Amino acid sequence: MSNLLTISLAAAAVFAIAALGELLEQRAGILNVGLEGVMLLSGTFGFIVAKTTGHYLWGFLVALAIGALVGLIHGFFSITLGSNQVVNGMAIWIFGFGLTTYVGYPYTGPLGLKQFPNLLGLPPFFILALVLAGAIWFLLYRTHIGLQLRSVGENPAVAESSGIAVIRLRYLAAVLAGALVGLAGGVYSLIYNPVWSYNYLQGWGFIALALVFFSLWNPLLVLLGAVLFGVLWQLSLYPELLFPNFFSRYLWRAVPFLITVVVFVVMSTRWFSLRWGAAKPHALGLPYQRES
Amino acid sequence: MRVNVGNTTIRIERRSTLRWWQSAVASVLAVVVSLVLVGFAFLHVGASPVAVYREIIQYAFLSQYGLPQTINRAVFILLCAYAFIVPIRAGLWNIGMPGQVYAGMLAAFSVAYAFGAKTSVNAPIPGVIVIPLMVLGAMAGGALYGAIPGLLRGKLQVNEIVTTMMLNSVMLWLVAHMIREGGPFMGRTAEGEGFSLPLAARMPQLWNLPLTVYATLVLAVFLSIVLAKTTIGYQIRAFGASPAAARYAGIREGFLCTFVFLLGGLFAGFAGYHYFAAVPGVYKIPKSYNDFGDFSFYGLITGLIAQNNPIAAIPVALLFGGVASGARFMQGKLRLAFGIDYALLGVLMLVIVAFQALAHYRLALEHRVPAAVPQREIGESRVESPHH
Repeated sequence: MSNLLTISLAAAAVFAIAALGELLEQRAGILNVGLEGVMLLSGTFGFIVAKTTGHYLWGFLVALAIGALVGLIHGFFSITLGSNQVVNGMAIWIFGFGLTTYVGYPYTGPLGLKQFPNLLGLPPFFILALVLAGAIWFLLYRTHIGLQLRSVGENPAVAESSGIAVIRLRYLAAVLAGALVGLAGGVYSLIYNPVWSYNYLQGWGFIALALVFFSLWNPLLVLLGAVLFGVLWQLSLYPELLFPNFFSRYLWRAVPFLITVVVFVVMSTRWFSLRWGAAKPHALGLPYQRES
Repeated sequence: MRVNVGNTTIRIERRSTLRWWQSAVASVLAVVVSLVLVGFAFLHVGASPVAVYREIIQYAFLSQYGLPQTINRAVFILLCAYAFIVPIRAGLWNIGMPGQVYAGMLAAFSVAYAFGAKTSVNAPIPGVIVIPLMVLGAMAGGALYGAIPGLLRGKLQVNEIVTTMMLNSVMLWLVAHMIREGGPFMGRTAEGEGFSLPLAARMPQLWNLPLTVYATLVLAVFLSIVLAKTTIGYQIRAFGASPAAARYAGIREGFLCTFVFLLGGLFAGFAGYHYFAAVPGVYKIPKSYNDFGDFSFYGLITGLIAQNNPIAAIPVALLFGGVASGARFMQGKLRLAFGIDYALLGVLMLVIVAFQALAHYRLALEHRVPAAVPQREIGESRVESPHH
């Protein structure tokens, strides 16, 4: 059972780090629905580099850098060119899926590095996720730049007229978010499941995206949701722990996705939005063109 | 943004509207640029891109074996494109094509299963009844599965991108359950794939192609008419242009969102029937069924390139069907890495978006008159200065 908890927290770390990145970006008004693609790209290139150099460090650095670069590209399309953010996100996702299928294929198989050490019996990246959640909460609610970031996501025109550099802040958010999502991709492919195969992520990026909506854009609730999903995911892999000989194991695999839909539906009801709503950044997904 | 070169100012201006031919040029250029970019991948493995593309075209469009394969793949892509186009006309994103394809496929095989198709390839089955029922079942299965995200979006504003993606994964595991480890649809001999359809339940062919190919062309005409000429088509377009205005004009949002996803899912379900129950050499749920889910995303690209026009989607789908079947052939011949067709998919998507965004900008050249006027003013003021 304690083993189940450890591996659940390892999964939670991936969900949490990716969702925290996306949350930061969405707070600045940018919607990136292509998380899955960013994680595929960073995870695959991180995996290739770690496998060829034999060092985790290089793998993670590459994952971070690729994530930041893709974040920058998504930012350029969304912020400077002002094109539809959903289309851009889709492009990033399909690009990630298509390119990694081709590039990663010769590296199909296990990573083959010695196991990453645990910290105090906990998965090290879960501790990082805890720290990040706290840091991002502090950044958003207790610092000046956090206030500026949130106001850019609420109403960029008003933010601009009060002297905030909207474009610069949005780029900063996009690149930082990209780096975090990239790190999550690296954690998945190097630590959580260090075996590369085609389309290996199987929808985790989309679950992380859904987590941001679940969390009502609150970093601490992201963490809670990630832990819940981590446990749920592990139970779906090993249903015999709770329900021996009940349903086929394939049907259990579908459960986390079904529950995501159900939670999403509950979150969208009028009852829920009247009670808890209004957390969504108002300018989310809207391009901002500076008056010139 | 402006750059000065000598006496000329180059300014980048944003167009507010795009004419149809401008976006058409952007789409065609995107396809060409993507094919060139992916061509570099061939250079990377030591093959000449020109020779590779020549071989792909020869196999896919000019050979006796390649052409039917190209057409069958193109029909699958086209139907998936329609599954994407109908909702996107209303401004909604359907990325649930894989789930809807699998739902249609499972429904079709359920019909066959109910008629005892699993027993043997020679099972005596009344094909005249079973085949139409399988087709209708597939359409109904895809439509119902598609309707779920539509209904949720229409009634509760649930983000359709996340729901369709989640429902894809749900359906993927349902297929796995059905065909693995003694699942109801598991093949008689092979582990991890479905039973082979009996000869009597296979779609008849005309000129070497299953009838589903011709049915797709009829559906294409039907869809164009629905979108262009009917009240519901008008409502879909109105809702896509401005949901708020459409609501004000009395369009029922819940019904409309459900309807577009229902119709989209119907096409995807039919795509599932076509590829798994009507294409010669398949006639079962293969181990690689998962690939077809991913392959259905070519429908999304096709829809975007065709600017959501069902008729323009036909040549685009043919091109991608050819590239996909030719690339698989080349992969074997040149020992290329798996996934060159998916790489094209990815590059295409990014390049299309870039080109469609860039098409909104134009370069304006402006010749400046040498800035002499202010200087003269300064000079004049000097002349006039003695007055002070």
